[in-house]
Amino acid sequence: MKRVITGNQAVAYGVILSRVDVVSAYPITPQTTIVEELSELIASGRLKTRFLKVESEHSAMAALIGASTGGVRCFTATSSHGLAYMHEMLHWASGARLPIVMVNVNRAIGPPWNIWSDQSDSLSQRDTGWIQLYCENNQEVLDTILQAYLIAEKVKLPVMVVLDAFVLSHTSEPVEVPSMEEVDSFLPPFCPDYPIDTQEPRAYSVITMPEHFMEFRYKIQKAMEEVPDVSKKVDDEFRSRFGRGYGAIERYGKEEAEVLLMTSGTVTSTSRTVIRKLNEDGLSVAGLKIKRFRPFPSEEIYGAIKGAKKLAVIDRNLSAGVGGIFAQELRASLYPREERPQVFGFVSGLGGRDITPELIGQAIQYTVEHPQPEEEILWLGLKR
Amino acid sequence: MSKQITFKSVSEMPMISVSLGDMDWNKTGTWRTQRPFYEDKTPPCSAACPAGNDIVAFIQKIAQEDFEGAWNIIKEENPFPGVCGRVCFHPCESKCNRGSFDEPVAIHALERFVADFAFRLNKKTGKAREKRKEKVAIIGSGPAGMSCAYHLARLHYDVTVFESFSLAGGMLRMGIPSYRLPKNILDRELSDIEALGVDIRTGVSLGEDLRLEDLKDYQAVFISTGAHRSRGLHIPGEKEKGVLSGLDLLKKINLSKRVKLGDKIAVIGGGNTAMDVARSVIRLGKKATILYRRSREEMPAFEDEIVEALEEGVKIRYLVNPIRVGQKDGLKRLECLRMELSEKDESGRRRPVPIPNSNLFIDADHVVIAAGEEIEASFLPEGLEKKEGIVLTQRDGSAGIKGVFAGGDLTSNQRTIAHAIGSGKKGAMAIDAFLKGKDAEGAIIQNLIGEGPSLSIWGYLHPDERTRNPQIVKFEELNMDYFEPAKRQQESKSAVKERIKGFKEVSSTLSEGVALDEAERCFSCGTCNECENCYVFCPDGSILKREELFSHQVDYDYCKGCGICFTECPRGAISLKEEAK
Repeated sequence: MKRVITGNQAVAYGVILSRVDVVSAYPITPQTTIVEELSELIASGRLKTRFLKVESEHSAMAALIGASTGGVRCFTATSSHGLAYMHEMLHWASGARLPIVMVNVNRAIGPPWNIWSDQSDSLSQRDTGWIQLYCENNQEVLDTILQAYLIAEKVKLPVMVVLDAFVLSHTSEPVEVPSMEEVDSFLPPFCPDYPIDTQEPRAYSVITMPEHFMEFRYKIQKAMEEVPDVSKKVDDEFRSRFGRGYGAIERYGKEEAEVLLMTSGTVTSTSRTVIRKLNEDGLSVAGLKIKRFRPFPSEEIYGAIKGAKKLAVIDRNLSAGVGGIFAQELRASLYPREERPQVFGFVSGLGGRDITPELIGQAIQYTVEHPQPEEEILWLGLKR
Repeated sequence: MSKQITFKSVSEMPMISVSLGDMDWNKTGTWRTQRPFYEDKTPPCSAACPAGNDIVAFIQKIAQEDFEGAWNIIKEENPFPGVCGRVCFHPCESKCNRGSFDEPVAIHALERFVADFAFRLNKKTGKAREKRKEKVAIIGSGPAGMSCAYHLARLHYDVTVFESFSLAGGMLRMGIPSYRLPKNILDRELSDIEALGVDIRTGVSLGEDLRLEDLKDYQAVFISTGAHRSRGLHIPGEKEKGVLSGLDLLKKINLSKRVKLGDKIAVIGGGNTAMDVARSVIRLGKKATILYRRSREEMPAFEDEIVEALEEGVKIRYLVNPIRVGQKDGLKRLECLRMELSEKDESGRRRPVPIPNSNLFIDADHVVIAAGEEIEASFLPEGLEKKEGIVLTQRDGSAGIKGVFAGGDLTSNQRTIAHAIGSGKKGAMAIDAFLKGKDAEGAIIQNLIGEGPSLSIWGYLHPDERTRNPQIVKFEELNMDYFEPAKRQQESKSAVKERIKGFKEVSSTLSEGVALDEAERCFSCGTCNECENCYVFCPDGSILKREELFSHQVDYDYCKGCGICFTECPRGAISLKEEAK
């Protein structure tokens, strides 16, 4: 059934349809309406899910670690400072191989105080062992939640589903909401490998001496390496059932273009319009949407950029001292390759400033006109 | 027992760091530098009980709703729970650690509850099956003599008690009015002692009907004839008609003889006898005024007695001292001096000194002198050592003549029922040791509760059983995290206007529910009551417990000596010592 819903409502629908057993969360703008929606449904008895009230995001994730260890499907949502506060527990969730799914609504981290869209929060957590999936629109948000549980429970790693503050979280769009039966046949119940069982008591996450620690990390890396294959199968299965699929990346626009524009999140939607217009004007340019940031889709990207001479990357984030994080990861992934297009690293839209079609046009034009970037960081729309 | 697991390759390893076996192989006990161990210590109440009651143990039984078990524990040490629960001055409660938290446990009320519960069930102490051949004579059937008789009978001796009066009980019968101690309570506990086979011969007075030489058949004698002679004031007129002794008057009232008294009675003294006299006089429909030469603060009478006396209409005039008993218009006229308090004397109380020319006069129909009692020495056998108005006993309980022991008010200036009961018990232990040729002094020292002077006969009879460390548990050693304030439960008292109509008992026994609540208040200082805190808190699962009661043990194979059990024990029943290197 099609419904006109916000991104945050799409999250809530995804959680309901995934038959999540336990939700624990602490409110923070712009995530709050997700958990509001869920808690109201739970309080009214329409949703048979346990809601654990906690005093912080750290506790929310800790509660889910307990619940997930116990063998049930869990969910939480947060943003910005809340996610930063969870940091320690994020490592714990992945280290304990718990298939928790969390939504992070991208929001800048203060100071200066700011509640608008910016990827610095989720990208700060890139080394915590979580899979990260970025969404372009509300439909993708709902669909990604459903896929996320299946991926997480197959590879035993937690998944962070990421969407832009306000542009998605608080903006309504038509969304196809699948039926419970359809989702049930796609997403089977969660079966933990090491359930808590009083008949067979265990100690979990016990101390591990140097002689064994590294092997556990190796196992996490191996699980991450399975993700491209597993998530492709999940996406294919999803496409066959629901008629929609996303892939780890998506290339659009003119084939055999020499200039490619790489984006993530809602900037992609704007870029699609800009690139369509430029293609109509005869410019050989194409777009590259990055959905999966972790594990970084190096193979998929390399396969999609064959023939391109220049890669423009718009980063709505900043790793001070280096630049945009997507660009940085892209450069690292290209280094061992034979064909290494020039990477133009644009930083734009921080703290929720609009990345307008004009700015995107400027970025493409600069890339077209310059054989190589004049600066390592190309500030887009900065008031110099 | 499993072994430490080592993996050769990553493929052998589980996905997560989860236990695959147990840790029995890892004897963490070797890490220990300090060792916790269960060790009962002495609660302050028991150490303060002159009768040597095992208070914590009997309260634990009440809390377990085993009232009969509680009675058995009390009766091990004290044949008079019904008496003590009513009229003991309960020094146990002043030392109760709970007093530093909210209010002391109402120990006396619990003891009384247990005694009355046993009475309702018609419980009797079991009669000793076989008797030893030795005979012991006891002279005086007050609390000291009867306590001595009770314990000796339980030690299988053939005991005969000689009592000068026609009824047994001594001061318990004659000195305590029945509104405080009903006669049936006393009779019940005396008959329980008799039921053990103790022969009580009344109407036999030492010195007149009986001399020490007549007791050749007895291998030991215990003299406990009390202190019955009223101490005079040594003022002009005190020997005149109309001037009575407090104890004599109480005896008359207690034995239901008709007592002729005028309307206005002046009672001189500030002790319990003065209170008992005044309150009895009120019950006979007369007016009573107590004259006391110091202030209320120095009064030796128990606080409860003073409060109840005032409630019942007794007048107390402080800081007046009679100097002459005169006569005017058919009334006695007491000439008194006003007093004021100066420095503390050797008793620790401020000494009263007369204010010159402050003479005043108080008229009364009768004057009753209740200024204390002293022993009657004239009939005592020759050879008993005496000092400062009492018979002197040695540390082994003997009294100067071989085979002769003494106790009670006769041998002490601490003239309370509990002290008398304790000294009777000490006499019984000393006589037993003497007759068996053992070291009596050693036995007494061995069985002191805490540092004494209270004694445990249970310890004497069960030398191999669980012993307590004599260290008295201090409030600071308890863990108050585990206790919540709870109101002290008290016996209810009948209304004043009902009380003064007669000699019916003023207070009533606790109900079962209230007694249970009060028993719950006991901290159980130094005594494990299986609260299981140690078991719950031990991070190493190193507290072992079995089905039987009090079977907790530390598993030293795994105990790391962290001391959490020691810290979290609410009652100081776990000790910690440094591990021998």
